[in-house]
Amino acid sequence: MRRRPGPSAGPEPEDGLLPKAGAGETWRYALRLLRPRWYLAVLTVLALAVGAAVQLVTPRALGWVIDAAIEGDRGAIVWPVQVLVLVAVATGVFQVLTRTLIAFVAEPVLATLREEVVERALHLPSGAVERSGAGDLVARISGDVEVVTTAIRNIVPTLAMSVFLVWMTAVGLAVIDWRFAAVALLAVPTDLYALRWYLRRSGPVFAAQRVAEGARAQQLLDSVGGADTVRAFRLGPDHLRLMAGRSEEAMDCSFRAMRFRTRFWGRMHLSEAIGVAAVLVAGFYLVRDGSVTVGAATAAAFYFSRLFEPVNMVLMMIDMVQEAGAALSRLVGVAGVPLPEQREETVLTEPSIDLRDVRFAYGAGHEVLHGVDLAVPAGERLAVVGASGAGKTTLAKLVAGLHPPASGELRLGGQPVDRFGPDELRRSVGLITQEVHVFAGPLIEDLRLARPEATEADLEGALERAGALEWVTALPSGIRTVVGKGGHRLTPTQAQELALARILLVDAPIVILDEATAEAGSAGARRLELAAQRALSGRTVLLVAHRLTQAAAADRVVVLDRGRVVESGSHDALVTAGGHYARMWSAWSSNGDPTKGPASSAPSSASA
Amino acid sequence: MNAAVAPDSTGQTHTAASILRRARRGQLRHLGASSFFLSCHQVAEALVPVTIGLAVDRAVATGDGPSMLWWLAALLGLFVVLTCAMRWGFRANLRATQGAGHDLRMLLAERVLDPRGAAGAERMPGELVSLATGDALKVGMLNYATAMAISGFAGVGVAVVALVRFSLPLTALVTAGSVLLLVITHVLGRPLEHRSAAERAKMAAATGLAADLIAGLRVLKGFGGERPAVARYRSASREALGATLRSAAAESTVRAVAVVLAGGLLAAVTLVAGRLAAGGSISIGALITAVGLAQFLVDPLNRITGFGSQRAQSLASAGRIAAILDAPHAVGGTRQATAAGPGRLRFEGFSAGTIRGLDLEVAAGEFVGIVASDPKEAAALLAVLARDADPETGTVLLDGESVAQLYPDETRSVVLVAPHDAELFEGTVADNIRSAAPGAELGPVVAAAGLDDLEEVLSEGLRTRLLHGGVSLSGGQRQRVALARALAADVPVLVLHEPTTAVDSLTELKITQGVRQLRDGASTVCVTSSPAVLSFCDRVVVLDGGVITTEGTHEELVGSHPRYRELVLA
Repeated sequence: MRRRPGPSAGPEPEDGLLPKAGAGETWRYALRLLRPRWYLAVLTVLALAVGAAVQLVTPRALGWVIDAAIEGDRGAIVWPVQVLVLVAVATGVFQVLTRTLIAFVAEPVLATLREEVVERALHLPSGAVERSGAGDLVARISGDVEVVTTAIRNIVPTLAMSVFLVWMTAVGLAVIDWRFAAVALLAVPTDLYALRWYLRRSGPVFAAQRVAEGARAQQLLDSVGGADTVRAFRLGPDHLRLMAGRSEEAMDCSFRAMRFRTRFWGRMHLSEAIGVAAVLVAGFYLVRDGSVTVGAATAAAFYFSRLFEPVNMVLMMIDMVQEAGAALSRLVGVAGVPLPEQREETVLTEPSIDLRDVRFAYGAGHEVLHGVDLAVPAGERLAVVGASGAGKTTLAKLVAGLHPPASGELRLGGQPVDRFGPDELRRSVGLITQEVHVFAGPLIEDLRLARPEATEADLEGALERAGALEWVTALPSGIRTVVGKGGHRLTPTQAQELALARILLVDAPIVILDEATAEAGSAGARRLELAAQRALSGRTVLLVAHRLTQAAAADRVVVLDRGRVVESGSHDALVTAGGHYARMWSAWSSNGDPTKGPASSAPSSASA
Repeated sequence: MNAAVAPDSTGQTHTAASILRRARRGQLRHLGASSFFLSCHQVAEALVPVTIGLAVDRAVATGDGPSMLWWLAALLGLFVVLTCAMRWGFRANLRATQGAGHDLRMLLAERVLDPRGAAGAERMPGELVSLATGDALKVGMLNYATAMAISGFAGVGVAVVALVRFSLPLTALVTAGSVLLLVITHVLGRPLEHRSAAERAKMAAATGLAADLIAGLRVLKGFGGERPAVARYRSASREALGATLRSAAAESTVRAVAVVLAGGLLAAVTLVAGRLAAGGSISIGALITAVGLAQFLVDPLNRITGFGSQRAQSLASAGRIAAILDAPHAVGGTRQATAAGPGRLRFEGFSAGTIRGLDLEVAAGEFVGIVASDPKEAAALLAVLARDADPETGTVLLDGESVAQLYPDETRSVVLVAPHDAELFEGTVADNIRSAAPGAELGPVVAAAGLDDLEEVLSEGLRTRLLHGGVSLSGGQRQRVALARALAADVPVLVLHEPTTAVDSLTELKITQGVRQLRDGASTVCVTSSPAVLSFCDRVVVLDGGVITTEGTHEELVGSHPRYRELVLA
């Protein structure tokens, strides 16, 4: 298994991954979800037991037929055959009953579990998700849910029936003659040995296979996803070699796993051979003594050979059960995270922002903001500029409430930010990130994530104000066009106009634009800036900008340098002051005024 | 000098059937071995109940001690054969399956990375990866099904031979009954397959929705869409649950019918064989054998019919793979360049998309900026230079030779178009920069790309390992690493597309200056609207509305051309 076991029920395991529940917590959680259906669960166990018991009659009935045949009594054959028919029908009925019952007990539980996982996942503080990487979360929601689903659908019914069948067969053997059951136990030590041998080694073998297959998929994604780059740099042969290497490694791992599995099967065959031989030998002596009939001895041999399949099923499924258990504990780990509590609602009365000596660090000793003081009055359009790594994005995230400040005070509308409930915070502050994402599905559904109750007219209004209505109407199916992954691909500019439309639908009085135009290219950036400027006028806007034309159009500019505010003032004032911002501005628009910028013939004079 | 440079590995056309043939022919040795051993295994499996029957008949019933020992030895021998055959059979089988999958995977990879590219709709990387893993393996699985079907025939054969010695009618009953059983279950199971496919699709949709929401989590949190998102997932999940529960009852009924029919067949065989044995026409051993085989035959028959459904699946996968392999190349050209020229580019009457009749020359050693009012026009221009597309009309000449005639990699060794959204690959930062020029010295390019502060920001500087396309780097760092890689390739003509969009203006200035110095004497084309970059160009060409409207130095254009000011300084 990839993750270490341990007291990891706490919210933050040291490896940075999301929490994983302990065995006890997993059980408690499963039982809590099962409780409303306890009577169905009891019924399932009963149906399993009776179903397995019914199947035991078959070998006995065959034994009676054999005895009748030996005696040459044709008439005595008929009634055991009737029994066989009855058993067949009863077995069928119990199959329907148990499988349906298992589905009705387990599937709703699983559905609730996956829904709780997704709910918690979406509400996790963004810090937790960033530390573990979204990959961990996606792996849990797709991979682990899949593993548990398969387990419930295929393994649980088969395993439960097999276990009952094994027990019932042992009872059946003992009913014929207790000595048959006793010798059959000779197969148990080899089975146990095989299982122990297997379980000791299976973890690393299958983990290695999973890792190799993951590495292969990653390499394929890397090379194929970057095919344009590979072609541009003529790296094809290198990448083919890398892919072949990874693919062969995964293949070798699967061969190793198969060698290992077949060795396990060999050990199970050994215990089958020992058991059958023992039962036959016991039959030989018991028939000679006259303790049992030939038919009974045959029945015993068949009883035992009928055990092969269920026993093998149980043994082979053990590692799948282990895997499903691990997956379940990872799911319960996320589902067990408490949802953010709904506090008594403090309502934002005035969209102003106030930071006093705010500090923030991502990890111990890596402080990004070193005491920021900043006041943004209601309705101001403030640009935050600075070099990469100055802490602009962190500042934006703090104001948006995605991270709590490590120390200092952050107030919105005069109230400390931690007094707002999550819902009020969401209504009050909207953030458009540099990251671009279009939610897969019809475009109208993407917008409704921002305001589910919005009418189509509301949505079109928002698109209009975001400058997007024109191209949306021109899409193949207009606002109902399927966009995002697997659908119509939007350009980064279009995606960000959609983001702007969402913010307008939320109608937050404070809006933060964190380099929202970075991916859009220069022409797209201008388009977006103009749309944002028009649509957001009147709101309090915090604008993280690297295109300084944006800063020039803002009410006020703040320069952030290495986690501190170093300059603040209007664009004109800062340019005249000749400080940090003035240098950045002259670099940005170096030749805006042909008389003073660096000429192309003398680039060295441009060094700032 | 018309030598073709690359062997045309995909020259022949591919069909689903030819892909299946290839998968089989490439693995004949493993396929043969696995068919043989799995057949041995089936025969041994069939002989287990026969041997038990004989042991009861000849030894247990008669009380003959030495004979009992013989039969025990025979039984143990049978188990040895059974376990060895299974072991070798499944190992060879996996080799045949995986070997075919690997072969197709590499064939696909080669096609996807082919220098000539692929025309037609762009495929998502995820789709291609799933073709190269899932579908390639599904084609390989036909080798598995083939060996299993052959072994199924062996199992049926041995069962028939074992029975036919005792009684012909009994043999007929057992065989016909088993076949009938199989047919009925298959007919019943078919609508079930459709239903479960629909159910799986619902579940997959719910999972896809969740993965998409997580992928956009930061964006989602930005506008506070968590609650509606959860509600949306919940309704998808409930829909999947409803489908599952509806199909659960149907599925268990079909399974139950199979169980009832198998039990009925057993009862019928028992009745007939029992009466024959009671009448003395067959031995007790034959009775036991018949009853045992009636239960055994279902497995080999399943193996035989399993081939049909696997073939259908493999054929579908093979068809998808063939479609990729057969996609026409995006660009042609097979000629080798006559001689390495200085790198003079010339567009003559070039049209692509909305660009009409463009004439443009980039002299060797020139540093040229191109400002395009429409990003689509910039993209069309770059695609032709990158040899991702051929011009619709007109020609692009490289040192006097038409690039469309040249093998694409011939052009690329002279003209490198560094993609704006360039991917970084797994490995260290240094590996990435050196990837196109293994021996390159890093110092100058790292400095020119403005990466000298990397040591401060990243704990291991240039030795920092990049995971998953460099997601651990910031946008600005990624862009600068990609730029350093393009500079390290040290080609005669370097084409940069918006190389500095993710860095602040001071860094941008420093980078442009560094690039300008490093590229001194070689040709460089910058397609950009960044004033800082344009100010360093010898000449700026403005592409507006599909034609070149003006050209000059940045200062001249800023001073004299209001439209230029609008495009660049707005």
